[in-house]
Amino acid sequence: MRGLRAGLLALLMVLGLAVFAEACGGDDDGGGDSGGSPATKDDVDLTQGQDVTIAMVTHGDGGSFWAVAKKGAEDGAKQMGVTLKYSESNNDPQKQAQLIDSAVTEKVDGLAVSAPNPDALKDSLQKAVDAGIPIITLNSGADDYESLGAYTHVGQTEEIAGEGAGAKFKEAGAKKVLCVIHEQANIGLNQRCDGAKTGFGGEVENLQVKGTDDVQTTLTEIQSKLQADKSIDAVLALNPDIAVAARDAIKGAGSSAKLGTFDLSGDVVTAIQDGEIEFAIDQQQYLQGYLPVVFLTLNKTNANTVGGGQPVLTGPGFVTKDNAETVAQLAQDGTR
Amino acid sequence: MNEASGGGSRAAAVTAPGAPTPEPVADERLANIGLVARLMRRPEVGSLLGALVICAFFWLTTDVFGTLNGIANWTDVASTLGIMAVAVALLMIGGEFDLSAGVMTGTTGLLMGLLTTEWGISMWPAIALTFLFAATVGFLNGYMVMRTKLPSFIVTLATFFVLQGVNLGVTKAITGTVRVAGLGDVPGYDSASKLFSSTFWAPHNFRISVIWWIAIAALATWVLARTRAGNWIFAVGGDANASRNVGVPVARVKIALFMTTAIAAALVGIMIALRLSSVQAGQGVGEEFTYIIAAVVGGCLLTGGYGSAIGASLGALIVGMAFIGIQFSGWNTDWRFLFLGVILLLAVLVNNLVRHRAEGARR
Amino acid sequence: MTAEKAPLLEVRGVSKYFGNVIALKDISLGVGAGEVTCVLGDNGAGKSSFIKILAGVHPHDDGEFLVEGEPVRFKSPRDARERGIATVFQDLATVPLMSVWRNFFLGSEPTVGKGPLRRIDVGRAQQTMREEMRKMGIDVRDADQPVGTLSGGERQAVAIARAVYFGAKVLILDEPTSALGVKQSGVVLRYVVQARERGLGVIFITHNPHHAYPVGDRFVVLNRGRLLGDWRRGEIGRDELVKMMSGGAELDQLTHELESQLEGPG
Repeated sequence: MRGLRAGLLALLMVLGLAVFAEACGGDDDGGGDSGGSPATKDDVDLTQGQDVTIAMVTHGDGGSFWAVAKKGAEDGAKQMGVTLKYSESNNDPQKQAQLIDSAVTEKVDGLAVSAPNPDALKDSLQKAVDAGIPIITLNSGADDYESLGAYTHVGQTEEIAGEGAGAKFKEAGAKKVLCVIHEQANIGLNQRCDGAKTGFGGEVENLQVKGTDDVQTTLTEIQSKLQADKSIDAVLALNPDIAVAARDAIKGAGSSAKLGTFDLSGDVVTAIQDGEIEFAIDQQQYLQGYLPVVFLTLNKTNANTVGGGQPVLTGPGFVTKDNAETVAQLAQDGTR
Repeated sequence: MNEASGGGSRAAAVTAPGAPTPEPVADERLANIGLVARLMRRPEVGSLLGALVICAFFWLTTDVFGTLNGIANWTDVASTLGIMAVAVALLMIGGEFDLSAGVMTGTTGLLMGLLTTEWGISMWPAIALTFLFAATVGFLNGYMVMRTKLPSFIVTLATFFVLQGVNLGVTKAITGTVRVAGLGDVPGYDSASKLFSSTFWAPHNFRISVIWWIAIAALATWVLARTRAGNWIFAVGGDANASRNVGVPVARVKIALFMTTAIAAALVGIMIALRLSSVQAGQGVGEEFTYIIAAVVGGCLLTGGYGSAIGASLGALIVGMAFIGIQFSGWNTDWRFLFLGVILLLAVLVNNLVRHRAEGARR
Repeated sequence: MTAEKAPLLEVRGVSKYFGNVIALKDISLGVGAGEVTCVLGDNGAGKSSFIKILAGVHPHDDGEFLVEGEPVRFKSPRDARERGIATVFQDLATVPLMSVWRNFFLGSEPTVGKGPLRRIDVGRAQQTMREEMRKMGIDVRDADQPVGTLSGGERQAVAIARAVYFGAKVLILDEPTSALGVKQSGVVLRYVVQARERGLGVIFITHNPHHAYPVGDRFVVLNRGRLLGDWRRGEIGRDELVKMMSGGAELDQLTHELESQLEGPG
């Protein structure tokens, strides 16, 4: 009797999981193996896109920034008719390495990764190179993509974008900039603040905050800083969720600091239109998701390589009051 | 005069003292039936069932989960988790929690990284120093818990915050960035990697941490089941007062357990640092709950005094299989945590169900 | 008059203070081999302070504490155990989730092998436990069953058998029947007699004179930290003992008051 009960329970679990999989399995028809031999020069893949699987492994955290990148990747996959395997490691480099390993096990046809920590991914990416899987880096890793085995990088270079931000603040006549860093482990963010310092040519102070996991605390941290240091008259956020928190913090502290941010969201664009945010530097992460999927698919089906050995830049683009209207609608749709 | 024992225990019979005690009747016969019942009441049952179900599920529904490459993937994830889960399980059986276990994997990795890249110490001495550091932190954790008599949950939470701050502050102050890199160039790196972070059985590339994990789980199981120390661990977790009264050195046992989790964290921290040739300042934060969950899925009671190292290993295996299995299935990763939560809940429920049945039937 | 045996354990004029509070004052009693001394007293009489001194949990402040004629001052319960004084506390010092044999040998596990390979001799431990329990009249068929699944009386038996096995010369039982029903209490009293018959000295602490009376060789009553009286078997009847314990004089007065109130006005 006891054994029967346990057996029934086990069966129930399997059935439950199967039903669950059916209901929630978005992107896949269950398998994802590329199958078939790689196309030779004389072989034309007439069933373009049918059997192609592209894996995208980012260090993302599921926040509004990465949601747009993911949308780009999903749209790209849909339009190209390929299967997308998108996964995020939430800033954990070991997990990201393990996800890359599993993509290699699945023998995917193309691999797109973000590389905030190139050393950590080197070994796993080498395995991908050894397995003959073409690699493109996106978002972070602009300096290292070649040594990692990628043939191009899709993204924005951090320092240059930072310089642009700094320059904008200088133009606006600010005296002291607060640079809000929300991701403890992301070197790129630090590079942006360094770039801002160069472009601003004045005093730039970095502030470490809790991050997108706990926006309320982040708000309080920024607000306290502004209340404590009244000489700050410019705030640079590096993420749209953080920018919204900063806007509320500035209001709450009764400060008149100007606010600029990296990256867009619907709220950010509205705030620009309302004059609460001066500018947003758009690295157009939709393209960072979309383009690698397209490039890798064409690489597989048409032997194309993009970039000419150079990175493909998606930014910096500036969104200000002038062009905010146009961008607004798109941001609400989650594609910008 | 023969008096029944009363009180509902059927397994023991009382006869009048002084009367010639009857020979126990057919013990062998009872033993045969008892074996199945005995297996069912083991703490690992739920996690074993859960692991089998999940394994079967992903094996059957994906192409690569059951291949050697696939197995290498999910055992990779399970191994470092498993080492920590076993250590944390031992501590939980002993009746305490260590919330600093996760961040400790970061602190130790960072320490080793800084010792080697900033202060020119070569790899092996740095590793030795790192273990020494971990033992000290573990000792402090245990000492504070025993001294202040505060719940270990609170004391180690404080340690967690301290270490989290130190990880970031010290790294930034010394390197100017949020990570320590360049470990690959340190003398001794190659030999150390071989022991701690290499792979074997090419081309499938199983990680050596899996071997470490199995060895540690086996050692822990042996200690729990067959040694005096193991008996003491169960005792201080089940009833520290009673143990003290019969002369078990409660403080010593608990402090030793805290040192064990810290040293295990050092091992894992070193493994990760060598594998990635770098360490992030945020490494390990948040993982402490995963270890506890693996231990609970494996049959450890939150109140202490009961549990299993094998069970905790199976719990870690479940997490690893789910993580990679979801990848292979191509499910929308937005639902990943929901799925993980559901699996774990089911495993714990099965655990409870089976154990209560097994114990109840014997009453 | 039978020759008094040399006491195994004796306290003479022992006192214990906690700050300003006098927990015990000038207590003298003893127990010899093969004897049961019952220490009776209501709650707050000082029984628990007394038992803790005997068990080695804390030291006495005044007076002498002698074991087999030698003065002792225990630093820890372990010391007391080593001197042959085994105390079975009310919570029984058993761990409910652990099996009977593990509890039996807790703190004194038999080992085999040397160095890192030193392990518990499980077979011997289980066998020994079974034998000792059989001597108490209990047949433990499943050595692995958790102690928590045994009845209250059986758990007492485990604690007592353990103490006896590990060479206790004096067995101190702290309220062994307080949490048990009538039938189970009877069983435990039988164990007390058994221990006596095996040559131990038993100090039986209780607030229930009905349980103490049948088994005691000597009766001592504590009240508010002081010794009210000390009688040998036969020197005091059961009703008198009951009266002594419940503060007989005070009870008489109370009864008198209540009766006059009831008869009182009108």
